[in-house]
Amino acid sequence: MSLVRSVLEIWKFRELVWTLAWKDIVVRYKQAYMGAAWTILKPVMLMLVFTLMRSFIGIDSGGIPYPVLTFTALIPWVFFQEGVALGVTSVVLNAVLVKKIYFPREVFPLTAVLTKVVEFCVDLFVLAALMAWYGMLPSLQVLWLPALLAYLILTTLAVNLAGAALNVYYRDVSQLLPVAISLVMYASPIIYPLSLVQQTLLVRMAAGTASKALFFLYTMNPLVGIINAFQNILLRDQPPDFAIMWPGALLVFAVLPLSYALFKRMETSFADVI
Amino acid sequence: MPIIEVTNVSKQFRLGQLHTVKHTVQEALGWFTGKKVAGPRVFKALDEVSFSIEPGEVVGFIGSNGAGKSTLLKILSGITSPSRGNVEVRGRVAPLIEVGAGLHPELTGRENIFLNASILGVPRKHIEALVDPILDFAEIVPFADTPTKKYSSGMKVRLGFAIATSIDADILIVDEVLAVGDIAFQRKCFDKMEDLIHKQKKTVLLVSHNIRQVQRICQRGILFEHGKVVADGPAETICKAFFEKSDQAIYNQGNNGKANLKSIDGFELLSFTLSDPEGNPTNRIRVNDPLDIRIRYHNHHPLVRPKFGIGVHTSDFLYLTTYDSRNEIELDELQPGEHEAICRIERLPFTPGVYSLRLGVSAGRVENTIFYGENLLNFHVEGEERFRNVAGSEGFILLDATWRQLC
Repeated sequence: MSLVRSVLEIWKFRELVWTLAWKDIVVRYKQAYMGAAWTILKPVMLMLVFTLMRSFIGIDSGGIPYPVLTFTALIPWVFFQEGVALGVTSVVLNAVLVKKIYFPREVFPLTAVLTKVVEFCVDLFVLAALMAWYGMLPSLQVLWLPALLAYLILTTLAVNLAGAALNVYYRDVSQLLPVAISLVMYASPIIYPLSLVQQTLLVRMAAGTASKALFFLYTMNPLVGIINAFQNILLRDQPPDFAIMWPGALLVFAVLPLSYALFKRMETSFADVI
Repeated sequence: MPIIEVTNVSKQFRLGQLHTVKHTVQEALGWFTGKKVAGPRVFKALDEVSFSIEPGEVVGFIGSNGAGKSTLLKILSGITSPSRGNVEVRGRVAPLIEVGAGLHPELTGRENIFLNASILGVPRKHIEALVDPILDFAEIVPFADTPTKKYSSGMKVRLGFAIATSIDADILIVDEVLAVGDIAFQRKCFDKMEDLIHKQKKTVLLVSHNIRQVQRICQRGILFEHGKVVADGPAETICKAFFEKSDQAIYNQGNNGKANLKSIDGFELLSFTLSDPEGNPTNRIRVNDPLDIRIRYHNHHPLVRPKFGIGVHTSDFLYLTTYDSRNEIELDELQPGEHEAICRIERLPFTPGVYSLRLGVSAGRVENTIFYGENLLNFHVEGEERFRNVAGSEGFILLDATWRQLC
């Protein structure tokens, strides 16, 4: 019940969230000569590296140009990765405010994620250009995008909230989490498409009787479903594959309230510890 | 109904690092071997504090450093929560704690107004109307679109103060901020505060070490000591109580810090005391009373034409006066042994407070300092409160004067 009240309180502070997000974005690029161009650099670089890599090892991209496929995967991935990295340190970075003034502290991790939405949108434009280059057109399935983005935001928040709170007490978290998250990249269909995993585990049963269980475990990673869904709606003219998404979604919706409850519990003594 | 109600509030802090791996390992080992590891030490910043404040009251929180005033303000503004007890605040709080802390260096003055006003909970559509008055009050109109990192420190503080006082809050929390900017701006801040208090009838909580300010602005004072409320009442009474306590603190402190001590072999100061004319030792003297300063010393060599000088200085070493024995003690040669000299002050002309004594002794045909020390002895001047000297602002010396109305 108190969680519901907390969510309502955030709604009251929505203007503050917007202002803080606006501040973060303005400040991020203000003293940078290249400005917002930095936003697209990361996914574009990764895409180029992966494309180069693929020319050695040969990955079947299922009829879709590999750069487009991997860039589409990188959009939600970079959002998640940077959202977590920024979100976890968000409370500590705003120590000055935390010590001086009260407002719901979840404003910080929330703002961190929202600023990444802007970069997410910029990346979508780059994707559009890339698709145009390859003569591809998105279908009406693209309408799924807002819902998918909302789910992606919740997934990021599930990690962020607990991470940000714990990081106030143990700075180890901000050291550990980015490393852990970059490992998750290999457990997500970014460099390779999901179909490759399905092929190996579900068709060829490479791990024997454990194959099905392994695949289930793999789909517990919510990014698997999200990335696949992004590729489906943007490139394959298909709706999101819920059969692949539900284990991850279950995890997210179980962890998110816990993560938030932990944050609210620890919040009261942030100012003393930070 | 009170606007603020504080009941039995305590706040504890754990001292030192919260947990380290070492501590955890020790604890785990202790669990096996049955040895107890000492937990973190606990510091009580607030201890069973209770009071309530009515709307429109202007309350000064006073107490020495570390008495718990700021912790209490943090609890009242919701920044931190009490370990025990209950706090009820009925109204919006605008904290002015260290104004300017919320300014972002990369943002312009105008942008910072938006940022800070949002942080203080002002809806965006109301902020628009606030921007110009704030820029105007802070006297930074020409620099409105310059990043605040290029501002002078005075400009930043003025902007911070202007933002915080423009917010329409029910309760204003002011922590040591009226001492901002130059004199002219301080005057302006003061007027603004008086306006908020008298015209707009805001509830104001003021923390200040400037007791005169508390006396002037507040109706009520709450005196804190070691996390406890030790006195609560009219500001005048509470400020007086605080003066007495801090005088005592200075007095106790001063007695063990002798400064600039210089002594040449063969001269030993045996005792340096104050007494009343009847010879009873004392350290508390009433304003305008007589006083004897007694010096007992042991010289191991003969002293040629010894001279003594005493001086009075404040606890921060402002020299107020000196008086030496030239022309009054005329000894060609003083044989080795124990001797005593006395200096009688007929009328002690200092305002109430704590003062310190220094002493110098010289001797020789060519005058040579053989002993010198400052802060040797503290004494307390007591007297009518109308002579009370606040932080030196009234001066230290009493005039032997009277006023008359002539026509």
